[in-house]
Amino acid sequence: MSYYFISIGGSGAKTLEALTHLCAAGAMPSRGDLNILAVDPDSGNGNLERSSTTLNNFAPVQNLGVGNDTPLFKTKISIIEPFPWKPVEVDMTLDDLMGYHLQGNNPLGSLYEVLYTQKERGTRLNEGFRGHPSIGAAVLAKKSIPREFLDKILGDANSGNEVKIFLAGSVFGGTGAAGIPTISRLLRNELIEKSDKVSIGGVLILPYFSFVASQDNRDLFARSENFHTNTKAALKYYAQKDNVFNAMYFVGDSQRANVKNFSVGASSQRNDAHIVEFYSALAALDFFAQPVTQTHEFKCISRSDSDNFSWMDFPTLTESVNEQKSEFELQKRFVQFARFIFAYIRFVKPVLKDLLDGKRSEYQYPWFVDYFSGAGIKNTDIKNFEDYAEAFVLWLKQLETLERREVSLIKSSMFAANPAQILHPDEFKSCDGSKTDLTLHEVWYRLSENVSFDSSVSGFGRFLRRLYDACKV
Amino acid sequence: MNRNVRTIVKIAIIIAGTIICGALAYFISSAAFGHSLATASNNMAYTNWQEKFSTLVIFTGAVTGICSLAWFILSRWVFEITSSTGGGRRIIWAILAVISLAGSIAVPQIYSASAGIKVNVLVMAVFVIFFTGIGYWLLSIITTPAAFKYTPVGARLIRARK
Repeated sequence: MSYYFISIGGSGAKTLEALTHLCAAGAMPSRGDLNILAVDPDSGNGNLERSSTTLNNFAPVQNLGVGNDTPLFKTKISIIEPFPWKPVEVDMTLDDLMGYHLQGNNPLGSLYEVLYTQKERGTRLNEGFRGHPSIGAAVLAKKSIPREFLDKILGDANSGNEVKIFLAGSVFGGTGAAGIPTISRLLRNELIEKSDKVSIGGVLILPYFSFVASQDNRDLFARSENFHTNTKAALKYYAQKDNVFNAMYFVGDSQRANVKNFSVGASSQRNDAHIVEFYSALAALDFFAQPVTQTHEFKCISRSDSDNFSWMDFPTLTESVNEQKSEFELQKRFVQFARFIFAYIRFVKPVLKDLLDGKRSEYQYPWFVDYFSGAGIKNTDIKNFEDYAEAFVLWLKQLETLERREVSLIKSSMFAANPAQILHPDEFKSCDGSKTDLTLHEVWYRLSENVSFDSSVSGFGRFLRRLYDACKV
Repeated sequence: MNRNVRTIVKIAIIIAGTIICGALAYFISSAAFGHSLATASNNMAYTNWQEKFSTLVIFTGAVTGICSLAWFILSRWVFEITSSTGGGRRIIWAILAVISLAGSIAVPQIYSASAGIKVNVLVMAVFVIFFTGIGYWLLSIITTPAAFKYTPVGARLIRARK
């Protein structure tokens, strides 16, 4: 099975961030590669920048030798270039793209003038489609999907693999709302001959945040008061038109989170992580786990408490191990991964540099003697992993401290982010609300015990694998 | 072997090791120096000297056995590591080593004076080798729980895996 994920716009990028963490935790349905394409005309978008930083931190980490018999880092993520794919060149306006100067005086030009306001036509699109899907739809319809991406999909389909493509984006903004129907249609047209091998799914992210724009801003930008109208129009489109999706997921939140710092776009558009993006990433996992020839099903996910998100609300996931399908609990896998990250931050990060520099006595750290001493571990591997761990904790902290909602996945009182640290070590054993005997001391103890691994486990990966295993309840 | 079984085995090794060390110290000292020390102890009968010497061995062995067991209990159940600076505890191990060493030297001095038998420096050397050297140091290297396995001096040479 080959997996493809296309993030479109800011909400898509944030879903990509959540999906990256879920992949790292081993929540993907099989060991196949996950190929990522990001679509955003605003390449400096803070949300995309954050996702791509997470991806870039994770990319080298996933190649560490943790072994082939563990969920840890089991999915290899490949980034498709150009990343992101920008459908608009720098400083271009809609007028430039549509060739308005060539057809200004003919009937087509007149129609164009009716459909788009002067502001929509004349605004430079460096910061995206500014909440106006009508601009995005026109731009994207004139573009074609990057050839490298299509060739990769066709290559997989031609070699007999089943291909699953998943798109994520909002329906209430600009880029996502324009991109999801347009790109999915372009893909379907290009892959029409392979429709028995290729299935396309998508998550349509409904409104889940709002913001107050500055009054003096005269630029064209997204307005949260338009989100409902945009959503209604988009849903009507999907209900009435014959859409190309094999599976669609709808995720949103009636309680809108307030975006603290409004931004038209670029690097200042950097919003906190949200549970809706976590759900959207889970939608991708659900889609990837289904067979290509899936019959039509209508599923609805519910919550046990309307104001509280807890592990009880998430379904079990499916994975293939040695071509055998089995179910696993997301909670167990995710919490083991979170504990693994926290244990590293607590025990290893504060002292590792000193130990490697010979500034600390090694005897105090049996794990250092067993896994690091003389193992030739590269500092870059350590740094990449630590950067990734910081990004994970920051994302998790934001998820846990959601405004107006209580999220009870990992106790937020236990840890702090930026820099990542454990504030209450005694909460480690019950960090997900369940009672366990897995204290930090127990993790240290297990980490120090002698364990053998096969030859696929090596270097820094060998240590990470042992630490991960030590965090299993 | 799970951790509980390993714990029981290690406690048994400490107890058995201490008894074996005591027996070796007793037989080696008796065989090598017993007759001359019995003569030096106001011509005491050898069997009488042996009887008093065996009590001395038991006392000295008990001191080092307690030290070994105390280190095991502390490192297995008492010391808790919840931060990156919580490991090691070599100072505690060293204090117990000093107590064991002091026991190997002082107990013979004090006991021999009160029991009216003579011991010489070679007997004390045997005690140091068997009780502090093997009974405490070597046994602590072998039996220290994983979380502190390299704390005993020299443990890394024996226990580190490559």
